[in-house]
Amino acid sequence: MSAVTRRRLAATAASITALAALMVMLFPLYAVIVASFETNSQLFGASHYSFFPSRFTLSNYRVVLSQQGSHVTSSLIVALGTMALTLAVALPAAHALARYRFRVTALLAGSLLVAQILPSIAIANSLFLVYHRLHLLNSYPGLVIADASYAVPFGILVLRAFMLGLPRDVIAAARVDGASEWRAFIRVVLPMSRSAVITVALFAFLNGWGDFIFALTMLNGNTFEPVTLSIYTYIGEFSQNWGEAMALAVFALLPAAMLLIAAQRYIAAGLTVGSVKG
Amino acid sequence: MSAAAVRSRRPSQAGPGGALAPAARRARLHRAVRWAFLAPAVGYVLFAFAIPVGYNLVLSFEQTSPATISHLTAPFAGLSNYTATLGNPIADSAIVRTFSFTVLSLVFQFLIGFGLALLFNLRYPLCRFARSLILVPWLLPLLVTGVIFKFLFQLEAGAVNQVLLGLHLVHQPIGFVLSPGWAYVTVLIANVWIGVPFFAVLLYSALQDVPVELLEAARIDGAGAWQRLVRVTLPVIRPVIEVVFVLGFVFTVKVFDVVIGLTQGGPANSTQLIATWAYNLSFQDFNYGAGAALNTVLLLIALVAAPLYIWLNRESLRGDPL
Repeated sequence: MSAVTRRRLAATAASITALAALMVMLFPLYAVIVASFETNSQLFGASHYSFFPSRFTLSNYRVVLSQQGSHVTSSLIVALGTMALTLAVALPAAHALARYRFRVTALLAGSLLVAQILPSIAIANSLFLVYHRLHLLNSYPGLVIADASYAVPFGILVLRAFMLGLPRDVIAAARVDGASEWRAFIRVVLPMSRSAVITVALFAFLNGWGDFIFALTMLNGNTFEPVTLSIYTYIGEFSQNWGEAMALAVFALLPAAMLLIAAQRYIAAGLTVGSVKG
Repeated sequence: MSAAAVRSRRPSQAGPGGALAPAARRARLHRAVRWAFLAPAVGYVLFAFAIPVGYNLVLSFEQTSPATISHLTAPFAGLSNYTATLGNPIADSAIVRTFSFTVLSLVFQFLIGFGLALLFNLRYPLCRFARSLILVPWLLPLLVTGVIFKFLFQLEAGAVNQVLLGLHLVHQPIGFVLSPGWAYVTVLIANVWIGVPFFAVLLYSALQDVPVELLEAARIDGAGAWQRLVRVTLPVIRPVIEVVFVLGFVFTVKVFDVVIGLTQGGPANSTQLIATWAYNLSFQDFNYGAGAALNTVLLLIALVAAPLYIWLNRESLRGDPL
């Protein structure tokens, strides 16, 4: 066998293996999407798994849209709020830490690294009591402040690392031209940091959208409910209605899927610098 | 740069006659502006991390009850929360289970993730497409993943049982989320599924950086594929493997959402981890002191990784702007 044929064979084998691995990895998502178009009697009546169901129904989506629309809106508000708060806190801090010498820089960076490690459930336990006193339970601001804890440390560290690589002369020139520190930050530093800002914004959004721990502990469901919490309540109440539950799950995973298609580059960048979940 | 050098660069604070010279005043203003940029972050870290962690520690030594929720402090309880919580067999097995769960998760995530990374590293059609699609599990809300796996592993309508029955691998559907042993395995599978993309992508980017000349030289020296992997590739990418394991540890010891979505810690507490049991104590039994005590244990375990994590990120501690 020649070297070329051997290499070609190896490539084919690799393609097939990778495709098989990918199919196993993505089967759960496929099954969820298929189930969301099936009736409950179809799901429970089947004696074996049908990869292509004979009948598709939109009734699950109709029910979910009429009953769960407000939860999707709540999730959007929380996710956008988390994104805004994360950027508002992280951007100026990253700029200051990248541009100036503080005696506390190492201490602050070290605390941010430790903050990334802290389990959210340990934060939620005592934050609940603090919120109770401050009347922040069951409120959007309260939940957004808690949810930003996923992305603020990561955001500062990533943005600062990126800003350290920016050419200093450009910022210095803007300052010499009479721009205030704030204007130099807004007009020069931010536009040059665009890609890092997008990465941090995306992860903050996804963290706010996907948060469950703080929604579970800080909300009692009487004011508003993000999608994660409403799915949880839903399977508790109607644990046998899987078609509708999976239609709701599709809504919950939509942003992640869409962002992956639209902004894969930034997401891969965020992954490689170590965004820690939960 | 040392603190002394920093200090010497500052202009003198007071001018002749004790009044502030314009230069000194400007320096003070500059410092105020710099701190204004930093203040929101410092405030946020104090409010969202430092205070909750400190307060958690205080709570763990207090005798709390639903009645004490309205007060910030409760009677001092000494070590009773710790002795009561850690004396409970459910908490003890949750601690042991958290360790076994973490180790097994990391082993399988690494093996599968590294296998996928090696596959991605070969050139073949659809490779880029496969690499991007594989990221999806990592980005889903963790609770949703838990619920999805609960559906997949259902007794009757679950796809896994239907596929197994269809392939005649089993004759009876398996009660994956109904029997204690299987429930643990199911949660483990879900958690491995979540972590594999992360391992695969990071290890893949490390493999990309292994110098081709090094592998060529080994090949010319007569090293087989396995030898090249063990003797050349693995040593070269070792720093990344370390990072991946530390990060993997950090996010596995605090697993919560997946368990709650899948089993809620059941059946019969067989999938109870430290985080879920601490939640139960605080938010189901309203015993915040006991929950805080167990959370302190969880914090200590998570913080074991802190020195390593900081050391791996030592670049980011650099005080000097370029």
